Amino acid sequence: MSSKVTRFRLAVVAVAASVAVLAGCSSSSPSAKTSATSCAPAKGKVTLQYWNTVPGMDKVVALWNKKNPNIQVETKNISNDQYGILSNALKAGKAPDLSQVGYDELPNLRTQSAFVDASACSAATAAKSKFVPWTWSQTSFGNTGVFALPQDTGPMALYVRSDIFKKYNIAIPTTWDEYAAAAAKLHKADPKLDITFFDPNNAEWFNGLLWQNNAQMYSYSGNKWQVTVASDQSRQVADYWQKLIAGKLVRTDLANGSTQMYAAYQKDQIASYVGAAWGYSMFRDNLPKQAGKWTIVPMPTWGSDGASGDWGGSTVAFMKGSKHLYESVKFNTWLNTDTEALALENQLGGLYPAANAGLQLPALSKGVPYYNNEKIFDVFAASSKKINTSFAWGPTQKTVNLALQDAMAKAAAGSGTLSDALAKAQATALKSMKDQAIPAAAGK
Amino acid sequence: MSKQTVNRESQVSRTAAMALMLLLAIYFLLPIYFLIVAATKPQGDLAATNGLTFSHFNLFENLRVLFTRSDGIFGKWIVNTVIYAVFGAVVGTLISALCGYALAKFQFRGREFLFSVILGGVLVPTTALALPLFLLFSATGIVNTYFAVFLPSIVSPFGVYLARIFANAAVPQELLESARLDGAGEFRTFFSVAFKLMTPSLVTIFLFQFVAIWNNFFLPMVMLQKESLFPITLGLYEWNGQTARAPLLQESVITGSLVSIVPVIILFILLQRFWRTGLAAGSLK
Repeated sequence: MSSKVTRFRLAVVAVAASVAVLAGCSSSSPSAKTSATSCAPAKGKVTLQYWNTVPGMDKVVALWNKKNPNIQVETKNISNDQYGILSNALKAGKAPDLSQVGYDELPNLRTQSAFVDASACSAATAAKSKFVPWTWSQTSFGNTGVFALPQDTGPMALYVRSDIFKKYNIAIPTTWDEYAAAAAKLHKADPKLDITFFDPNNAEWFNGLLWQNNAQMYSYSGNKWQVTVASDQSRQVADYWQKLIAGKLVRTDLANGSTQMYAAYQKDQIASYVGAAWGYSMFRDNLPKQAGKWTIVPMPTWGSDGASGDWGGSTVAFMKGSKHLYESVKFNTWLNTDTEALALENQLGGLYPAANAGLQLPALSKGVPYYNNEKIFDVFAASSKKINTSFAWGPTQKTVNLALQDAMAKAAAGSGTLSDALAKAQATALKSMKDQAIPAAAGK
Repeated sequence: MSKQTVNRESQVSRTAAMALMLLLAIYFLLPIYFLIVAATKPQGDLAATNGLTFSHFNLFENLRVLFTRSDGIFGKWIVNTVIYAVFGAVVGTLISALCGYALAKFQFRGREFLFSVILGGVLVPTTALALPLFLLFSATGIVNTYFAVFLPSIVSPFGVYLARIFANAAVPQELLESARLDGAGEFRTFFSVAFKLMTPSLVTIFLFQFVAIWNNFFLPMVMLQKESLFPITLGLYEWNGQTARAPLLQESVITGSLVSIVPVIILFILLQRFWRTGLAAGSLK
């Protein structure tokens, strides 16, 4: 049955791609009126289009619409094939005013001129201080404009089965060295028990780990991209996990969020999870019988600075072609900094906010019953403030991620190493940018 | 003659045939069995327990959650699906009957050509038509309304084809002539005489149309953006895309899938006699 679904999805994707072609043909000139760089309020009533992937976002927008009769917002859910739909709309010149875009897709869409710079609106530039630092540096591309406002984040932390660690009398690790030692001890105590799993098909997760070690994968200087995907910091992380994989101390057969993954946790075969803030509900809802057995602690650290990493999260971008920049900024700012809106997004959509005000939401300041009534969000809030702000994504991130995953899967299967995978990713980054005529060089 | 055939068949080949059919039946019913089992489980048991065995029975709670989620939007989707499927199939059947009857009972220039064109329409998958239709509807401004899904649903080349065959077979020319002699107009002749004779076969066309619209997914996906207009298929698809952010949606998608196939199963059981007639007629004539 599932293969049928997959095939059907493929068909849908294929046809959707041809929509793009059709739509592209039919619209005479995609966007003659691009640079709406002025920030003048419109006269009379305005209707904005806002595309997103968040469950319950229509409720949040309904709240705004009730309060703002002159700026009405219409939502469309694009959870399935988010970027396909968005890129088709862009080609057809029918992009919405605002759209959900993941941090790692921002550079790609910016090189396609998908965004409009909202810095003409003082309200947009003034929002800077309201967000967790690293998120603003990514949406502003290092303060070169305001192309999106941060919405949610995935600050990383370590989920620990405290009962298992206690059973084998192992202290909960605070550094990666201790983590590796604990992995060996656990595996020795019970050969069927592993400390965690390494998901070779999840480049996003692995990127979060590299980020944590202050790896700089891309930077922009001298009018070109400097590509340093396979830097020393990255290699340190890769070699670390390579050792765990080679020693068979971590599983490599599980995909994040899969039924198999939950089954393995259910059977007490895995003792910890290197995850992000949004993962707390996955365990709570899928493994209710393990209530009280989990605790959440800061990520094991590499150095003394206690840096953390981020996995996932997204922004609400100002899309090219919007005729109502002033109103878009107004709505977008409310959506992502107003505590009432943030509370609703957290409650209905499970968003972990990028706004400083959001980190103090009542719902995020309480103990969580599943986690022994611990204030787990304090851990994530602390994590989100320790995330390197100069980390940047590349303009061909998706292609690079695919190449990285491909090579990581091979490494997990025993051919090549994770370090080789990084080299492959570096080469792919340079080649894919060259193919798109984006100036790039191997950086130092 | 049939008796002889049965006798000549060896016990072995009959057993083999039965075994094969049993296997196929299991193959086809297994996903439905899985669906039933999964729909009775709480979310926490989905991954944690064997997919084919029952665990904690939670069906009623799942149903309650399903029907109250997002202010009961699922109920709205059911109503929409019923509207699209029932009205679409009724109107579609009527149009098919009229067309098929005209093609079968009237002599006019280009009749066979017209029929061939309609037959050609059977070969064009509806998925391929969705996009041109979208552009067309987009220009006329009826995208994102009930009509955007309803209008394409009432067209069925296969229905016309079946209706022509049925009209040929079930409506004797003599009867029509006598109706005309008695002074009935063409529409009266159709509705009071031909239509009644064709009724059993029209039920078949209705069924075909109903199921096609009920399961239609791509057309509404292309046409609709307002959640309140969605049919069940599209609504469940949207929920399924959000399970990464809201894990509990998964159980609602599964329970919703089960709920969505129940009306079709009931309709089939009630009308299976007609369905078989239709398939046989379509294959032989």
